[in-house]
Amino acid sequence: MTETYDAGGPQAGSGPPGAEAVLRTAGVTKRFPGALALDGVDFAAYPGRVHALIGENGAGKSTLIKVLTGVYRADEGLVEYRGEPVEFATPLEAQHAGISTIYQEVNLVPLMSVARNLFLGREPRNRFGLIDFRRMHREAEEALRDLGVRVDVTRALRTLGIGAQQMVALARAVQVDARVVVMDEPTSSLEPREVETLFGVIRMLRDRGIAVVYVSHRLDELYEVCDTVTVLRDGKLVHTGPIAELDRLRLVSLMLGREMGEVRAEGLTKFSGEHETGGEPVLTARGLRVRHTLHDVSLAIRPGEVVGLGGLLGSGRSETAKAVAGALPPDEGEVLVAGASVRTGSTPAAIRAGISLLPEDRKAEGIVPGLSVRENIALAALPGLSRFGLVDEERVDRIVDTFMKRLRIKASGPHQKVGELSGGNQQKVLLARWLAMQPKVLLLDEPTRGIDVGAKAEVQKLIDELAADGLGVLLISSDMEELVEGSDRVVVLKDGAVVAELAGAEVTEDRLLEAIAAHSRAPEEGAPS
Amino acid sequence: MKPTVRLRRNTDRRTSAPTLLTAGLCLSLALATGCAKSEDDPSDAKDTGKAAADAGQEVAEPSGDQKTCDLTAFGGKKLDLKGATVGFSQSEKEANPFRIAETASIKAEAKERGIKLLTANAQSQFSKQISDVQDLIAKGADVLVIAPLNSDGWGPVLRTAAQKKIPIVTIDRKINAEPCKDYVSFIGSDFVEQGRRAADRMIEATGGKGEVAILLGAPGNNVTTERTKGFKDRIAEKAPDLKVVFEQTGEFAREKGQQVTEQLIQSKPDITGIYAENDEMGLGAVNALKGAGKKAGDVRIVTIDGTRGAVQGIVDGWIHGVVESNPRFGPLAFETLDAFTKGEKVGQDIVIKDTEYTEDNAESEIGKAY
Amino acid sequence: MTQLALRGVPLDRARVLRLLQDYGVYAGVLALLLANVLLTPHFVSAENFRTQAVQVAPVIIVALGMALAIGSEGVDLSVGSVMALSTSLISLYLGYGPVAAILVAVLGGMLVGLANGSLIAFIGVQPIVATLALMVACRGLANVFLPQLKDVRDPTMASLGSGSVLGIPYLVLIAVALALLVAFTVKRTTFGRQLLAIGDSRPAAQLAGLPVRRVLVVVYVVSGALAAIAGVLATARLTASDPTSLGTLMELSAITAVVVGGTPLSGGRVRIGGTVAGAVLIQLLTATLIKHDLPPSWTQIAQAVVIVAAVYAARERGRR
Repeated sequence: MTETYDAGGPQAGSGPPGAEAVLRTAGVTKRFPGALALDGVDFAAYPGRVHALIGENGAGKSTLIKVLTGVYRADEGLVEYRGEPVEFATPLEAQHAGISTIYQEVNLVPLMSVARNLFLGREPRNRFGLIDFRRMHREAEEALRDLGVRVDVTRALRTLGIGAQQMVALARAVQVDARVVVMDEPTSSLEPREVETLFGVIRMLRDRGIAVVYVSHRLDELYEVCDTVTVLRDGKLVHTGPIAELDRLRLVSLMLGREMGEVRAEGLTKFSGEHETGGEPVLTARGLRVRHTLHDVSLAIRPGEVVGLGGLLGSGRSETAKAVAGALPPDEGEVLVAGASVRTGSTPAAIRAGISLLPEDRKAEGIVPGLSVRENIALAALPGLSRFGLVDEERVDRIVDTFMKRLRIKASGPHQKVGELSGGNQQKVLLARWLAMQPKVLLLDEPTRGIDVGAKAEVQKLIDELAADGLGVLLISSDMEELVEGSDRVVVLKDGAVVAELAGAEVTEDRLLEAIAAHSRAPEEGAPS
Repeated sequence: MKPTVRLRRNTDRRTSAPTLLTAGLCLSLALATGCAKSEDDPSDAKDTGKAAADAGQEVAEPSGDQKTCDLTAFGGKKLDLKGATVGFSQSEKEANPFRIAETASIKAEAKERGIKLLTANAQSQFSKQISDVQDLIAKGADVLVIAPLNSDGWGPVLRTAAQKKIPIVTIDRKINAEPCKDYVSFIGSDFVEQGRRAADRMIEATGGKGEVAILLGAPGNNVTTERTKGFKDRIAEKAPDLKVVFEQTGEFAREKGQQVTEQLIQSKPDITGIYAENDEMGLGAVNALKGAGKKAGDVRIVTIDGTRGAVQGIVDGWIHGVVESNPRFGPLAFETLDAFTKGEKVGQDIVIKDTEYTEDNAESEIGKAY
Repeated sequence: MTQLALRGVPLDRARVLRLLQDYGVYAGVLALLLANVLLTPHFVSAENFRTQAVQVAPVIIVALGMALAIGSEGVDLSVGSVMALSTSLISLYLGYGPVAAILVAVLGGMLVGLANGSLIAFIGVQPIVATLALMVACRGLANVFLPQLKDVRDPTMASLGSGSVLGIPYLVLIAVALALLVAFTVKRTTFGRQLLAIGDSRPAAQLAGLPVRRVLVVVYVVSGALAAIAGVLATARLTASDPTSLGTLMELSAITAVVVGGTPLSGGRVRIGGTVAGAVLIQLLTATLIKHDLPPSWTQIAQAVVIVAAVYAARERGRR
């Protein structure tokens, strides 16, 4: 236990003198079957303060937020809002009371227009009681322009990029008269420029006297925008205090519950750097074209090599991976594995050839949430684990057991539903699913997004190991540090075309930024780090 | 370029495979009838069209003191039915013996009289029947014969017809409108009377004592209500010792009739008689009794309609009596229209005579059943 | 920090609802049986149980296919019409002998399923729309093949409908065998696992390289075949082919059985035991009300109450 780091009671130094907490919990406990998600947590958010909430996966951040916003009800303890004990039955009730939440995954209606989404449930009416579309569109446009987003507000929300969608969600939260705004990983899908805009908005909210609860795994961001920090670990509160009084290393060690020296020695990412690479490319993609998306993208990955795919949001990174993996049929181009042509536009064909894709949208395209860890791991390999269509349960058990151990998947057992696991463990389940297929090439699209520091390090280490075993790896990451430290080579994309390739000593953050910025029409690059 | 071509072919295949498949499916199903060979069925070797030749219909009572209608009251012109066009709107598809016989009878009579007949079938959709009738008027029908699906909702169509002074005769079901103004006559059975006669048969079969069950028709249907009312009234009046202990719907279908009867004989094994409000449910009841190991005559069954299967049931001893509901409206409908267009008086409510099949006449009269 | 001993999880509302969803249908069947034993005369007899089992058998068979369709996040509305098509094909082909006729009928059902599956898997038509189209088409086709009720006098068919082994009717044996077969398929085969994955998250299944289209087509072909078998058995029992009324509203009975049995409409889960129990529950409910000669509208109301209860339990679960 690391209670030595405990900075004391929940209110110690966290609130401005004399200020009343707008939202607080006392001794909140929440249990799930087989797990204690929150264990007597005291938490308080103050007006005009940005409060960071951090912790590893499974530390209880998401659960705490859900208790605060009425998604879950606490089994024990008290939630107090503006000095009164409350028990919100639904998130809507909490929202009406003035607690707005922006989730990691955008929570809006994809088929409705941007403006409709912004005004959902409080549409401006004309004198006939009908929706006043003109006014709604005008106000929506203004609201978004304030946040630095220019889009056609009559477009369906789903036609926007995920970053723009997030800004719409934020605009909605800001518009509703909120006293507390909770942000769960708001920057995980934003471009650097958008992150800057977001921070501007957060500061604006703070200046208006709104309490902001900010959940993120990106340490830089915390130090940039937050005033106070609360660290959770294993459902317990381990630290609360001003963030300025806590240096990064100490923060990390609080989260991980490990000694400082250990962390320092291991660095902040788990990549070892160079890999032994050589021989003929295991994967070659030539002249991939997809209308509006990719324009003549070519790649080559040698066995044991980690090739990074750099670029801004919307530069075609994910699309390249999908086109290679058969999930996005290209109009032109070819894919070869170990010199043999692979039928494009067919996922089964790509998988048979040895290409595995870990998709960006883990929850919608990766895991099958209702099935167990076991079924999820065995899913792709099932035909190989069956005889005459009957599943060989023993072999499945063996494989599942092997990978759960090897990847250190934390679950109550192989029969727990994957939907109940933390993000990092879900990612590991997906990795296990593909490793069970014994692939030649792994395409990893944002493998560490939305997972906590500890799991992140584990996944990074795993990528290293897999490359060392001779796999070709394509790594897509918005985290520059991760990309630079993890890759042997980085291919930089811009607007669906390859604009640069960095190799060897060239692979540095500076060079990468230069490569991206050099061809960028938007010169203002507020890159993190 | 190769992948492009491949992709094109790919998308082509995607759309054409199912198209081919659907086409193939239709074809194979069409062929299915081509080489079909059904069970030999001597009793089915009848021609319902010809059946119209026998029986026809008779008016139940002289329409002497009843309300009548003629051209002056209705306000139309004289017309020779021979050169006229008759429109016939049928309510339900000809999938049950009653409808088949009804349509066949109208067609046969028109053919015999050499009259041009336009027909339409509403397929049990009321909105379709309304537009059917409008179509028939638009196509130049001079007179109309309608077998209405519903009693209500005829206002707009009747107005159109009234403007053109088109005489309308409704058959088997009445329209809620003013006779001799909106339409000329209604020709049909008296369903209450059918129920009473079924009760008479039941009393005779049971000796007026015991417990009987009723297999009701489709709920909310006037045929159901009237056949139930007539039966119960007559039982109460003539045989107070005969008790109705069970009333459940068989929805006029054989399968439902069978299922309900199976439940009935489980819970009330000593039931004396079953009154089925149509033949199909009665035949379902026979199935159920057979399945439960009962013998012919153990439970007395009385049904209404007069289809061949039910009359055969009398011959076989399973059914005690069948009250006919005569579907052969052709002769009577044309006779009425002929008289009316010539300027003669016709009755507003013409109740046709329904016969009965009993153990005495079933064998000899089975040829008349439809 | 505070180290609380947290062993006994209290039986809170959510847990009760989950138990209700998982086992409510069995409890319902037991409660109805008990009530009938106490209140209904002549209820406890082999003959009565036989009757109930025989009546529910076709519903169970159809509901099995429906459960698969719903598990794949779809639905098959064409089952009732497939029964009608099957009965008309039987009548049409009985001249070649009962075996040939039954084969043709089942083949017809499978063809309809193939059409359903192809529309859904290849063209991307929503299941409810595709199967609605086939529902209308098949009923029409059945009536074209056989315009009116026709008696079936074949002795093999008749004994299929009313015969039994050791007092257990063939119909019931067939239904039980099919239920076991489908349950085994769902639990132990690759197809079953893939079906559940597709029903739970189709994009994920697609990216995992699962043969999504093939699985969907097979689901609807199986559903069509099962409905056709139910049509054959219903024909045998009635000893008549009645394409006009056979199987009407069967799709709703089947969906009811599946939903009451605890299979969520959102897919990803198939409960065969629950589905069978759901069909039995509705059957017992109907039988109880008929035996006590209560007005038929009561049956409908009682069914509605059961469905609402089942959906309520499912909804509460979905929120978690």
